[in-house]
Amino acid sequence: MPSKETILTKIKANRPNLWPLPDVPIFETSATDKKKLFIQILERGGSKVHCIDDSTQIHQVINTHFPEDKRMVSALPFLEGIEGITTLHPDFYEGTEVAIIEGLIGVAENGALWVTENELGNVRVLPFIAQHLVMVISEKNIVGTMHEAYKILGLPTSEGFGVFIAGPSKTADIEQSLVIGAQGARSLLVILIP
Amino acid sequence: MMPHAQKAAIFNKDEARTDWHDASLWMVRKKRDFAVSEIPEWEFLREFASDIKMHTLSKLDDYLEAFEKAAIQNGAIVHWAADAKEHNDIVLSILNKHQAKKMVKSKSMLTEECHLNEFLELHNIEVIDSDLGERIIQMLNEPPSHIVLPAIHLKKEEIGELFHRELHTEKGATDPQYLTEAARHHLREKFHTAQVALTGVNFGIAETGEVVVCTNEGNADMGVHLTPVQIHSMGIEKLIPRRSDLAVFTRLLARSATGQPVTVFTSHHRNPKPAGEMHIILVDNGRTEQLGKPDFRSSLKCIRCGACMNTCPIYRRSGGHSYETTIPGPIGSILTPGVDLKKHGQLPFASTLCGSCTDVCPVKIDIHTQLYKWRQIVSEAGLPEGGNKTMMSIMGNGLASPSFFHRLGNIGRKLLRLFPGKERFLSFTVWTKDRDLPKAPVESFREWYAKQARDAQ
Repeated sequence: MPSKETILTKIKANRPNLWPLPDVPIFETSATDKKKLFIQILERGGSKVHCIDDSTQIHQVINTHFPEDKRMVSALPFLEGIEGITTLHPDFYEGTEVAIIEGLIGVAENGALWVTENELGNVRVLPFIAQHLVMVISEKNIVGTMHEAYKILGLPTSEGFGVFIAGPSKTADIEQSLVIGAQGARSLLVILIP
Repeated sequence: MMPHAQKAAIFNKDEARTDWHDASLWMVRKKRDFAVSEIPEWEFLREFASDIKMHTLSKLDDYLEAFEKAAIQNGAIVHWAADAKEHNDIVLSILNKHQAKKMVKSKSMLTEECHLNEFLELHNIEVIDSDLGERIIQMLNEPPSHIVLPAIHLKKEEIGELFHRELHTEKGATDPQYLTEAARHHLREKFHTAQVALTGVNFGIAETGEVVVCTNEGNADMGVHLTPVQIHSMGIEKLIPRRSDLAVFTRLLARSATGQPVTVFTSHHRNPKPAGEMHIILVDNGRTEQLGKPDFRSSLKCIRCGACMNTCPIYRRSGGHSYETTIPGPIGSILTPGVDLKKHGQLPFASTLCGSCTDVCPVKIDIHTQLYKWRQIVSEAGLPEGGNKTMMSIMGNGLASPSFFHRLGNIGRKLLRLFPGKERFLSFTVWTKDRDLPKAPVESFREWYAKQARDAQ
């Protein structure tokens, strides 16, 4: 018998009686100021947050944080003068110093930002391979909890990959000492636009 | 196999190191407590998580088929493996199909359970564990000592020495930042040259066919997105029905594991990248057996956070390697006796039954109750050998018969008066090894009570 049948037959014989599936309520955060909480949790996790009044200032903010003339790649369609997505070959993006992408949803309770491959120009590796990551998000898209986030996300439509990113990559595998900048981005800058 | 107690005794010989190990894990437990305190509905979330998992187990066959159907629709290739051998054979066949000789792997306790690395290396495949802690222990040729913190048993001096040897870092360098940087460079090259990437799976979503992988370092995504072929190895109990259930589990997992509000990356893989290939291997390897044990099936709810290890007074002071199982600590001690009772039957005794594991478990597994139940089964099977058995049987008889108990008490008190101190006549039992015996009272309660009754007349 193929293993699929073996496994399913054994489960049918061994499974417990039907256990009801609970309806999980949409728990909301008790915080009155979601934006404030979002910033606070992001900073606690080692990220930087920069609030601006309108998206024309994005360039300036990025130049302030990354003054050196190094390779930047932007998956944002409206950032002129910065290298865009030109090929889907992932290795091409090794050597990217700064990647700039858009976050679709921000979660206040844990500082996570949702992004799908659509916002990455289908280069899934971009937020991981870059030395530094910049995520632009509208403060209108900040929700309180993961329940609210998944409610908005619903089921995936076109995207084959999506990820919550909650800070720079990190590890504490050596004696529980926190090291920011493990194997993905060494820093995360979140730019909050209105 | 050396019993846990003996291994623990060896671990305890270095008292300073034992204290250090204990304190490291207790720090993680305290971080967990803080993270938990931030969520007022924590206890409700645990209840929901437990119910969602129990529901899934009660319809696991239906959900697996739904998951497979959705995953195939997404363009993934789904495999079924009855045991570790079949899992390993499937991985090898995928590698062979692509003539791949190098595979990067992110942390996966399932592949540890299947001993995949050893198997692939026999077939001349280079396997690179890419999680920092896993890479360290792979270089040392050791198994992980913790499911979330695989190298928690090692000191930075030892890792510095290892990296000096393997990665040519400066001699004597022990700074974690510097050592992590060295590993980063070493592993970047591997991600670009490997042909296949393998990850474990935290959650499989039945309604979407997605696999969700929760990590901090970014290595899992580096591997998956840079190599043409991605493989996700997944125990069949990792399923959850709905995508929205992830809200419950992502809130619980990282807070319980490391005290973070969420892992840095929560990656949802649904379909292969352009021109890529995506495989999902569904692995049984004893899980359906465990499902058939009413007293122990709820152990399959486990989401592998490691909180029960961090809180366990025995684990903290005996180290993960003393368990000699892939999954150590309290949860491992209820998962593994079912696999091999003779080999792992002593593990349910490596517990004080204090119940702290049950208290911190984010999916409400009654771990300490199951430890107790395993003890009954182990004892009925005539295991473990030696140890407390003689004493247990004397005590059993003594406590069952009032007159025998009375005589036993008399003898005991006399002996204690004649030979004060501990090791004189009780050296055959381990109970007195670290405990002083009390001073013998002049009379027993029974004698005292009888006297009271007489005096009152």
